Amino acid sequence: MIIFKAFLKVLNKYKATVILYTVILVFFAGFNMKDTKSNQGFIAKKPDVLIVNNDTNQGLTKDLIDYISKNVNIISIEIDEDKINDAVFYRNVNYVIYIPEKFREDFLSNKNPKIEIKSTGDYQASLASLILERYMKVATIYNNKGMDEASLISNINNTLNKEIEVEVTSKLDNDNLSKLTSFYNFSNYSFLAAVVFIICLVLTSFRDEKINKRNIVSSTNYKKFNQSLLFANIFFACLLWLIYVLLSLILFGNIVFTLHGLLYIINSFFFIMCAVTIAILLANIINNKDAISGIVNVIALGSSFLCGAFVPMDFLPQSVIKIAHILPSYWFIKNNELIKTLETFSWVNIKSFMFNLAIIGGFMIMFISLNNLVSKCKRKKC
Amino acid sequence: MKKIIEVKNLTKEYKSLKAVDDLSFDVYEGEILGLLGPNGSGKSTTINTILSLLNFSKGSIKIMGKEMTPDLYEVKKEIGVVFQEVAVFEELNVYDNIDYFCGLYISDRKLRKEYIQDALELVGLEEFQKYMPKQLSGGLLRRLNIACGIAHKPKIIFLDEPTVAVDPQSRNNIIEGIRTLRDRGATIVYTTHYMEEVEMLCDRIIILDKGHIIAEGTLDELKSLAKIEEKVTVEGIVLNNKCLEEINSFKNVQDMKYGADILVVTYKKGKNNLLELIDYLKDAKLQYDKIFSERPTLNDVFLELTGKDLRD
Repeated sequence: MIIFKAFLKVLNKYKATVILYTVILVFFAGFNMKDTKSNQGFIAKKPDVLIVNNDTNQGLTKDLIDYISKNVNIISIEIDEDKINDAVFYRNVNYVIYIPEKFREDFLSNKNPKIEIKSTGDYQASLASLILERYMKVATIYNNKGMDEASLISNINNTLNKEIEVEVTSKLDNDNLSKLTSFYNFSNYSFLAAVVFIICLVLTSFRDEKINKRNIVSSTNYKKFNQSLLFANIFFACLLWLIYVLLSLILFGNIVFTLHGLLYIINSFFFIMCAVTIAILLANIINNKDAISGIVNVIALGSSFLCGAFVPMDFLPQSVIKIAHILPSYWFIKNNELIKTLETFSWVNIKSFMFNLAIIGGFMIMFISLNNLVSKCKRKKC
Repeated sequence: MKKIIEVKNLTKEYKSLKAVDDLSFDVYEGEILGLLGPNGSGKSTTINTILSLLNFSKGSIKIMGKEMTPDLYEVKKEIGVVFQEVAVFEELNVYDNIDYFCGLYISDRKLRKEYIQDALELVGLEEFQKYMPKQLSGGLLRRLNIACGIAHKPKIIFLDEPTVAVDPQSRNNIIEGIRTLRDRGATIVYTTHYMEEVEMLCDRIIILDKGHIIAEGTLDELKSLAKIEEKVTVEGIVLNNKCLEEINSFKNVQDMKYGADILVVTYKKGKNNLLELIDYLKDAKLQYDKIFSERPTLNDVFLELTGKDLRD
């Protein structure tokens, strides 16, 4: 009990650091919530298109112009090549369509008349290109069937006017799940930084060579002493984990009580226990308190950047992702991303989640083994 | 008297170096045993080995009649250790530090509180209970170090150079505290390279050099090993060769050293050596600043036995 009490008293001296890392997490979560809200709903902007019609405005040509006009903003400027070039250069027009002479006649007689275009090459121009291509593809299909112009136009319009109703079958609360995922992804940094920093500092105090000599010569069983220290470390980690889970509950509400929420909580518990094993190993290796801060920054910031805690994994280069596989943070974040997409909780769906948890567990065993090895080497030195 | 610690043929080797070589000695109940020796003589290694902090190559160690092992917790309960280096938590205040180290031996909170107050009183730190170690001077830190080692009222106390780099006031306080502990019935093993402290405190003394015991006994027994009986020192005197030869020819003179206007004459035995020298200086009309006589010290014994100074 005295060891546990002393642990808490020493820990109390470093409470400012824990608060700091928690504030960073809350700040990030708040920022993330605001950011997501501003992206809700968007209005598609129609591309600005200039049509230069060198054919007669009749029949199929007229229908093509009507269809395009319906889906884009038609820009009218003087048909002068220099002026058109200027308009494209200054992005006043995204796309210019040149309908050739005798387009209607040539198309109906299957001569494949070529429509020239000018494009700014941006996404607006791509959209205009897509609209033109869609009309031409449908028109070509019907024309190949050898029908007259009136039927051709009627069929084209019927096809193009059909609106496909897409039913979203997913019942996931994507917005909130995304926010919760970001919160737990970012908690990778806070967990690692707070747990490793604090446990390293406190354990370095207890394992200071001079103090440790006193611990060893005392009548407290050394195994029990180590068990008490381990218990105190786990207690601190659990307390921190509980605070962060409560924080997620306050920030994101009831979604934390769903099965998705439960998986996030389980995943974060495994990860924080893994962070404890990292901290214990580091405390066994590092003897200098001044070095801890630097090492923790390298570990917490490094693994957070490499594994996608700050920047989504999709944006990271493949080489970085490959390196990230050797870090427990990668599997923690990967699991968070996986939970976000889980529709049902069948064994097939949950298998990947369990696999990632097992890997985090494997890391824990590895760090404990390394710690035992380091302790053994140290004892041999005596 | 009852043997509390029995060390037999203890040998501790670091690769090819024998830090402790075939050491045998006993510590009796209620005594203060001084382990005296220059730096590197094996004092701390001997203590660390007795405490099972270090493995040893040969020999046996018994404490309170039991073979000492790292897990002999019932015996460890009766042992208090004050290490050479200050070993306290920077993050805990004076009271909490003593509470923690005392708590490693005593789980009863009430009793611990009582013991902590006693320890604070013994080392004179009552006013500094809420101070953090960083706020204490070197001497006060040493006192805290001692309080942490003895707060649980052990029967056997190992004090490893507890007064190193301590101001005179704290040193006196520490020495007084050690006497009090002895008076309360504790058996103390005290290592130091300050012979004055050993002379002041210890009932028996073991002089170590290069891991060997070179002499053992009470202060008087050890002093009898020195071939000299008296040492006279004259400071601030200018002498020529003729005078030096004349002084050297005095009846009981064993050795004489002169340099930097200081003359040191050692005598085998005899009485009135000081008087004889004063008379000679007076007759020769020689001026000097100060003249004094000393009984041989442990340093002289060490010098006699090893041919080198204790503080070399």
